[in-house]
Amino acid sequence: MKSWTRREFGCLTGAGLLTALSPRKALGQAKARVVVIGGGIGGATVAKYLAASATTIDVTLVEPRQVYTTCFFSNLHLAGLRPLEQLTHGYEALTRQYGITVVHGSAEAIDPAAKTVTLNNGSTLGYDRLVVAPGIAFRDGSLEGYDEAAMEIMPHAWNAGQQTRLLRQQLESMEDGGLFVLVAPPNPFRCPPAPYERASLIASYFQRRKPKAKILILDAKDSFNAQDLFQDAWNRHYPGMIEWLPAQFTGGVTAVDPKTRSVITVGATFKAAVANVVPAQMAGRLAQQAGLTDQSGWCPVDPVTFESALQPGIHLVGDAIIGGDMPKSAFCANSQAKACAFAIAADLAGSAQFPAHLFNTCYTYLAPDDAFSNAISFKPVDGKLKSVLSFISKVEESAEVRRKAARAAEGWYDAFTHDVFG
Amino acid sequence: MRPVVGFAIATGFVLLVSQSGAAAGADQGAQLAATCASCHRLDGGGTGIPSIIGLGEERLNSALLAYRAIERPNHIMHAIALSLSDEEIASVARYVAAQGK
Repeated sequence: MKSWTRREFGCLTGAGLLTALSPRKALGQAKARVVVIGGGIGGATVAKYLAASATTIDVTLVEPRQVYTTCFFSNLHLAGLRPLEQLTHGYEALTRQYGITVVHGSAEAIDPAAKTVTLNNGSTLGYDRLVVAPGIAFRDGSLEGYDEAAMEIMPHAWNAGQQTRLLRQQLESMEDGGLFVLVAPPNPFRCPPAPYERASLIASYFQRRKPKAKILILDAKDSFNAQDLFQDAWNRHYPGMIEWLPAQFTGGVTAVDPKTRSVITVGATFKAAVANVVPAQMAGRLAQQAGLTDQSGWCPVDPVTFESALQPGIHLVGDAIIGGDMPKSAFCANSQAKACAFAIAADLAGSAQFPAHLFNTCYTYLAPDDAFSNAISFKPVDGKLKSVLSFISKVEESAEVRRKAARAAEGWYDAFTHDVFG
Repeated sequence: MRPVVGFAIATGFVLLVSQSGAAAGADQGAQLAATCASCHRLDGGGTGIPSIIGLGEERLNSALLAYRAIERPNHIMHAIALSLSDEEIASVARYVAAQGK
């Protein structure tokens, strides 16, 4: 198949024709400038689909990192099943194939009146539309003693990369018979099934290499996502290895002590050989500083255009938004990003917008050869994103069905990251 | 790696057509196909997830109608297809079929 570039695309459709059809961009005017802050799944998808939508839009993506390591599938790395390099993606194709300007800097401030973004090197970028995809931050003080120094001893590994490597190294050097403690966060948080998938895959690693090890999940909640599927799998695959303690049993985790690698609940102290502490979350720092968050710590948005309810002209997608029934997942971020990109492109061109279709699809590993899947569709109803239809694997499914889902998940990863990063 | 050829072409059509009025039977298939691209590579590559490139419009259309009718064998495609109208299924099938040519 022939390669396609934006330049060829522009020639084929005719730049003059596009210009003539664009009421807000008369001949001779500059292209519309859209700046996207954050090169995670939401930000990279918005940038790509905006750039592909029209040659009349100049897209700049601001992202401090040279490469992005996906959180999804990072639990496979923790289990020793996939090198981190295979989960790491660059931005070159977005520039080469879609003409996106990628600026490797950090956005420090937004001036909505002047429509400028100030970067950490002091330079500013002007915009006609701004998209902010800031991801998550951890809530300060939600767990006493869990500061940046403690994260290097008791990693969260909830942003993939160095933290994922660190936790993997700790699991590898742990002696057989050691206790691995996983502190699971309160709702809402990034990727609802992920703490329990992590426990499952680490259990599969222990079963192979450290069969006397134990896993203790100390949860801030009293129930969790797809609980019946997980608990069924834990009984089948890892009998006696994983213990889950809900908040109503422990009173909740209140503090950590990195010196003794201990996790402290209201009623007891648990000394871990390896501790994975995932704290309470909120929208990324830039969203907090730019006045894009409400009292909840997350960002309210219009469910059709994903424009901020607090700052007109600024759009938000991904984990940072109040997504109604949409969970904080990479798939949702990708789905929201496409709807947002089409809405911005239609608005800049002064054209009608098609009704958006929003979905979440998720493959979750219970063991390397046992995965379940779910699919949910969403629609804007009364200003909120509501779940319309929801399907999920059943506990009684055959091993063959689950094995196929595990293989489909690998294909999904390839297609999905190709959709985001080109 | 090869780019998502289809997408670049199709969104162009969406802009062109939609600006002359969505009511005039605009091809909405391109935007709908963006949903397909979250799991199916539209350049025909990839393994693990069945390719939807090169199947032809009629087969894509009837497959989506069949997925919409029953939950088995694939609840993901069931959820996707249930959210689409007959017209939306026709337009995404037409668009995706054109990508294989």
